[in-house]
Order: sequence, then structure tokens, then C-alpha cells
Amino acid sequence: MAAAQARKTSAQERKHWDRKWIPYVLLAPAIITIVVVILSPLVTTIYYSFSNIDLIRDRTTFIGFDNYVELFTSRLFWKAVEINLKFAAIVVVVPTLMGLFFAVLLVEDFVGRSIGRTLLILPWALPWIVIGLLWNWVVHSQFGALNGLLYSLGLIDKYIPFMADENWALVFTAMASAWRQTSFSAILLLAALQTIPEDLYDAAKVDGAGMRARFRFITIAWIRPTLTIVLLYNIVLGFLQFDAVWVMTQGGPGDATMLISVLLYRYSFINFDLGMGAAVSNVLGLITMGVGLIFVRLTYRSQATYS
Amino acid sequence: MSASSRSIRQVAARRVVTYAAFFCLLFWVGFPVYYMLITSFMDPPELGVKPPHWIPQEPTVENYREVIIGKTGQRGDYGTTTEFSRMMPALLNSTFVSVSVVLLNLLIGGMAAYAFSRFDFRFSRVAYLGVLMTRVLPALSLIVPLFIILRKLKLINTLWALIFTYTIFILPLTIWILREYFDTLARDIEEMALIDGATRPQAFRMVVAPLAVPGLIAVGVMSFMEAWSEFFFALTLTNSLTYPPLLMSFRNLHQVNWNALAAATTIGVLPPVIVAFVFQRYLVRGLSEGAVKG
Repeated sequence: MAAAQARKTSAQERKHWDRKWIPYVLLAPAIITIVVVILSPLVTTIYYSFSNIDLIRDRTTFIGFDNYVELFTSRLFWKAVEINLKFAAIVVVVPTLMGLFFAVLLVEDFVGRSIGRTLLILPWALPWIVIGLLWNWVVHSQFGALNGLLYSLGLIDKYIPFMADENWALVFTAMASAWRQTSFSAILLLAALQTIPEDLYDAAKVDGAGMRARFRFITIAWIRPTLTIVLLYNIVLGFLQFDAVWVMTQGGPGDATMLISVLLYRYSFINFDLGMGAAVSNVLGLITMGVGLIFVRLTYRSQATYS
Repeated sequence: MSASSRSIRQVAARRVVTYAAFFCLLFWVGFPVYYMLITSFMDPPELGVKPPHWIPQEPTVENYREVIIGKTGQRGDYGTTTEFSRMMPALLNSTFVSVSVVLLNLLIGGMAAYAFSRFDFRFSRVAYLGVLMTRVLPALSLIVPLFIILRKLKLINTLWALIFTYTIFILPLTIWILREYFDTLARDIEEMALIDGATRPQAFRMVVAPLAVPGLIAVGVMSFMEAWSEFFFALTLTNSLTYPPLLMSFRNLHQVNWNALAAATTIGVLPPVIVAFVFQRYLVRGLSEGAVKG
């Protein structure tokens, strides 16, 4: 009797708490702030990109596609695109391959494996700005570690001013980014490798599959979803990197490391041409959104198969 | 040749390859970090000698002392500067920002994730997809309107501008990971608690929250790292109040004291590095779940 009574009140209470507005109350802070800080600037950026913004007279005039026309016909923009594509190519290829290499190493059972796994976290734990500085020390023309190493090994007899050379500057800013992304990629791939059931390999061995076949048809096949995600992350970073490049070169020497993000910063905060800055933002946004949409679709699909 | 000697040779070859690869890993990760560390323990004149000293000949903690007291003195070719006196306040600011972001993020994100996980309501699917979509927007491209909004709110050059933006930009990822977590937590236990007379907040506090601790830690650690490291917003929205943009301003000094800079860098990366090592397990799990499973 008492128990039935208690059950009844609990049911009432539950009803009270499950009232329809509860989820909305729980969601309100997140949704409102996301709308204010992310969605409303997004709409504003789109509007700005069709405007001429006169900061001095505080006047915004609608000018249609003029900003985009100016952007797409400017030599500077296409140069930034070309530079960015080269940069992204390094940031995609190097970390994905090296990450896979290190991940495959760290599933092996050997003395030092746990040291390796811990050390792998280190680059990922460092701020991008610090990574830019670290690589500054590596490539510096007077006391750089790389110059020092080559000199100690007798491979050069004069220090090379790497960052004064346009090609080297692009390669090394990309390598700095690749350095951290390698860790990130390896961490994800290692986690995926650890879920491969050992009997798959045994069965393949019994069936006479060689090492290469096993790697391709078991290892790669099993981690393919993760590999795809890693690739997408690296592509997005290839187009959104700013910090590390800004610390190392600020876009120089000349315009050698002028990524699209650097161009965005120049338009917005050096020339104070906010309309053009917004146009560059949207181009950059469309590129990464495109990649991101593939990403959301893939994860959403994998989620559906999980549950 | 017998089969066993061939397999011994194979095992040995595998060993050699493994350790060669391990050495590559140590070198790739360790070399840049090691070089910065030895620089921070060198007197300025020792940096740049040819061939370089791979081990400081007279290791000194003078750079650290100078950075901490905020006055770098006249050693080597560098003049005296008090620029580094901004270092300790910036580290305090960074700590305040990061801790606030972690707490706010767990609270707001946790609430939202719980709502998505446990309630079926109108627009839930649309709202969730909307949240996910914001994750792929480049924060970089929203800076101009954001700057204008924050200026209207009179938050420019305050720590609140950073706390506000960091928290919100991390929210989608938090909601994503925590929702997954709440989804996998046995609903039956919660239902049982509810049937036994617990209210929903009680059930949350006593059943769901304790089980979700690993997820909460993972998310907390990730938002701490993000908040500690963020550079672009800190550069554009404040006048180097926090550690990353201040480090950049040291680097832009007319005469960079690279040894003091190395010491300052080392001090400033200790918090995220320690946090990452201590919570390694949670972090890797959160990272792979957040990135892969969604």
C-alpha cells in the first residue's frame, strides 16, 4: 500500500520533470549563445561580403558582387590559392603517412612502446604558437638546430638561411604544421588499430596471405573510416592554419607563405577593408564547409550503423 | 637452411626495423623540443656557436629566473628589457580563462547533451544537426562581426571576451562527445532509479553523472587545452592579455632574447603538457570518440 503510494508520487514527480519544456530549458544556454556568437556573425559576414564598409565615416553600402569580382580577378588571391594548395598538400600527405607509420609501429610489442605512446601526445599538447616558435629554432639561419645538425655532420660548411628562401619557407611552415598533425593522426589511427581482432590476422595467415596482403586487406580495410576522417581533418587544417605560419613568417618572405588565412588577416586587420575580408572569409568558409559536410555525412552514417 | 633459423632471422629483422622506426619517432618528436629545452638552459653567447653544443656546457637557470622576475638583463648582445614582466600576469589570466571555460563548457554543454540524449522533442533532430554543422565553420572567418558584437558589448580587451568565445566555439564538440556518452550509459539504471522514486535531477546526480565522469574528464581536458592554446582570437580581441599572444609579442621584440624566450615558452607549456600526460588515457579516448564516432 505504502509502496504503491510512493510509486504514484514518483510517477507524478516524473511527469512534472518530464514536462515538455525541460529539454528546451536545458538547451537554451547552448542554443542561444551559439546563435549569438556563431550564427549571427555568419549571417553578418555574408552580408558584409556584399558591402563596402567605410570605417571612417561608419557607413556600410550594399555593392552586390563587387567584392567577389575584385577578389577573383586579383592576382594576389590566385597566388594565395596556389600557395595554399601547395601548403595543404604537404599538410595532408606528410602527417597521414607518418601518422600511419608511427601508429603501426606503436601497436608492435617492444620495449619503449609506452614511452613512444606518451611522447606522441607531446606535439599535440603544444599550442600552435609554440609549434611555430619551436620550428623557428629548428630553421633559424644563425643558430638553427637543423643548420647545426647538418654542420656537425659535415654536410654543409655554411649555415643556410632557410627562411629567406621562398620555397624553403613554404616547406618549413608546412612541416611545422605537419609535425603536430602527425601526432594527431597517429593517435587516432593507433586507437583504430587497437580494435582489430587478432584472429583476423591468424585466419588470413592460415589462408596463406602474405604480410603485404594482410596489411592491405585487414589493417587498411579495418581502419579505413578513421583514415578518411584523418584525411579530412588534415585537409581542413591545411586551409585553416594561421597561427604557426603567422609566428614563423607572417606570410613572408615576400608573399611566399601567404595562405588564404593570411590574406584574410591582411585584408581585415592591416588594410581594414572589412568587405574584402568578409569575401575572403566566405571563400575560405565554403572550402572547409565542403570538406566538413562530407565529414558530418560520414560520421552520421557511421553513427547510424553503430546503433 | 632450417625453417627455425629462417624464422629467427625474420624475428631479428623485425626487431631491427621496429627499433629503427622507434628511433625515427624519438628524433621527429624529440629533436625540436630538446633543442628549445637546451636553449633555455644556455647563456646567450653559447647559442649560435659553431658547431653547436648539443649539451649546454655551463647549464644555467638564469633565463628562468629573469623571466619569472620579469627583467631580462644584459648578457650577450641583448639589452635590458622589462617586457617579460607581463609574463606572470598573462599566465594567471590564461589560467583564469581556461578554468572558466572548462566549467562553463561542462555545465552548458552537459545540459544540452543530456537533453539531446534523453528527450525526444520537436526540432531535436534539426537542432542537433545545426549544432554539428557549426563545428565545421571556420572560427577564423567569423572574426570581423564577432569583433563588432563584442565591441558593442564593451568586452573588447577583457578576459570575458575570450571566455565567452572559447566556451561557445568548443560547445559543439562537447555536446557531440557527451551526447554519445550519455547515449551509451545504460538507460535502464536511470529508469530504475526513477521508478524507485528518484526525481530526474536526483537520478542525474546519483546515477548518470558518476557514470559519465570519464567523458566529462575527456571533454574538460580538451577544452582546457584549447582555451590555453588559442591564439587568433586572443590576438585580435585583446591586447595580449593571455599567454599565446604575449609569446608572439616577445618574438617580435626588436632584439629577441632567444634564451629568455625559450625559458618563457617552456614555463608556459607546462600546464597543458602536464594535463595531457596526466589525463592521457581519457584524452586519447575523448579525442578518438569525438573525431571518429562523432
